[in-house]
Amino acid sequence: MSAVRAIAGRELRAFFLTPGGYVIAALYMLVNGWLFVRYIFNPGEVATLRPIFTFSMLAFMLICPAVTMRMISEELRLGTLETLLTSPVRSAEIIFGKYLAALGFLAILLAPTLVFVVALEVYGRPDYGELACGYLGVLFAGSVYLASGILASTLTASQVVAYLITVLFWIIVLLGTKGLLQTDVLPVAWQERVGDVVIAADPTMRLVDFAIGLFDSAHVVYFASLTLVLLIAAVGFLETRRWR
Amino acid sequence: MITAQRLTKKFGIFLAVDSVDFEIGKGQVVGFLGPNGAGKTTTIRMICGYLRPSEGRVLVDGHDMAVEPRRGQRQIGYLPESAPLYTEMRVEEYLAFRAKLFGVPRRTRARAIGEAVGRCSLGEVRKRPISQLSKGYRQRVGLAAALVHQPPILILDEPTSGLDPTQIRELRGLIRELAGNHTILLSTHNLAEVELTCDQVIIFARGQVRAAGTIDQLRTEAAGESRYIVECDATGAPKVLKALPGVGSVESLGGEGTWQRFTVTAHNGSQDLREAIAKAIAQTGGSVRELHREAPSLERLFMRILEEPT
Repeated sequence: MSAVRAIAGRELRAFFLTPGGYVIAALYMLVNGWLFVRYIFNPGEVATLRPIFTFSMLAFMLICPAVTMRMISEELRLGTLETLLTSPVRSAEIIFGKYLAALGFLAILLAPTLVFVVALEVYGRPDYGELACGYLGVLFAGSVYLASGILASTLTASQVVAYLITVLFWIIVLLGTKGLLQTDVLPVAWQERVGDVVIAADPTMRLVDFAIGLFDSAHVVYFASLTLVLLIAAVGFLETRRWR
Repeated sequence: MITAQRLTKKFGIFLAVDSVDFEIGKGQVVGFLGPNGAGKTTTIRMICGYLRPSEGRVLVDGHDMAVEPRRGQRQIGYLPESAPLYTEMRVEEYLAFRAKLFGVPRRTRARAIGEAVGRCSLGEVRKRPISQLSKGYRQRVGLAAALVHQPPILILDEPTSGLDPTQIRELRGLIRELAGNHTILLSTHNLAEVELTCDQVIIFARGQVRAAGTIDQLRTEAAGESRYIVECDATGAPKVLKALPGVGSVESLGGEGTWQRFTVTAHNGSQDLREAIAKAIAQTGGSVRELHREAPSLERLFMRILEEPT
């Protein structure tokens, strides 16, 4: 466990020692601030952060792969992966440490939005259950994007390729599920059964539920297990590096 | 400390390491010698658990690296070729990170880092970011990182490549210092380096171990014959020398006045002929001005091995 902490700590610090982390954080906060003053912080408006949650769930699809793209790829390119894999550390500890660091970075990214919560409390009566549910949804969305980004990063020594694989994957998933449901490409006999599977696999509907404060334990199981599966796959691919 | 048994690594159809066997004992300083692409780095990577062997196995301090790799890895301090480092970190931070990875307990961590810093003379740069350091310093940071968990085994892959002559001399000095209480395995394509730092050599070529032994053993083997240089003033010297047991040929190297120089070549395995030569010359009434045996060079053996067909 101390190895996980060491790896997570090093990764998290690396974000703040390179300009990339600050650029991402600045852009994200800028948009959040604008959303808040434009759509939320108005007289008579409902005391909620829904626009910010919805935006974050989408924005994280682009931000998370940027956070994770260098995690393994860069180590591969620089050769530092050799020092990691010859340390008495399990591949799972390496992947988990990096995942925690990325999640920590998202938490740091989200922390300033708590100012909005304070503003809502001062000027209105926010529903804290809904807010907590929204934050949870944003973190879950981030969690699966990060896990998939780390998986992509184990596949290539190129950060750009790792980024593109992840973003394209999610674009295909999101557009694909919408497309399958809304167009008539499926044979009629399959529509109902395949439709159910697609709805179950689609993360967007579940994220909308979180954003509007609808807590469903099935959603929690969905995101937690999807994260776990992606991370286990990443561990597997990292392990295969030893066989090449 | 390190045992390789029929160790083999295939990359696709390319046989990088071909059924290699060797044994490295505790406290030995062993050099992997061979040209680039001979399989040294691949073998080292299998020892350190970075690559899994296609066949055969490695034991590090009795731990099979395929079964309990982390046990073995704890015993090893490894400096990969080109010393990869996280350049955004400060020297001290990096050493602390490595100490944590190797499970150095918090209580002793600061002392372990201090010792590694001292050993590798990094005192002046311990607070500097690695990105600002020269190649020589980076190599030393890599070595300090390999030492920080105080492993009994040190494995250095081409530790002197890319360094300037002063840095090379310093690093060799440091390796010799560490030799006292570590088992050291270093790889190099530089023959002089092996002769200067190692007491055992394992020669690699095309993925196979072609020769192994102490430097002296290999030198004698290398010689194939021993050569003596004699300068004397005996008129019948060539005939007398030729008559000595084991002598193959006597070659004149010319001379000045009555003093003549000869090269005497003896078969391998014959005893040291220096006394016999001196006595034989004295019996003819002549005197000897110079007599020495030429040290056989490893280079000859090395070149011969490289030229051998597989």
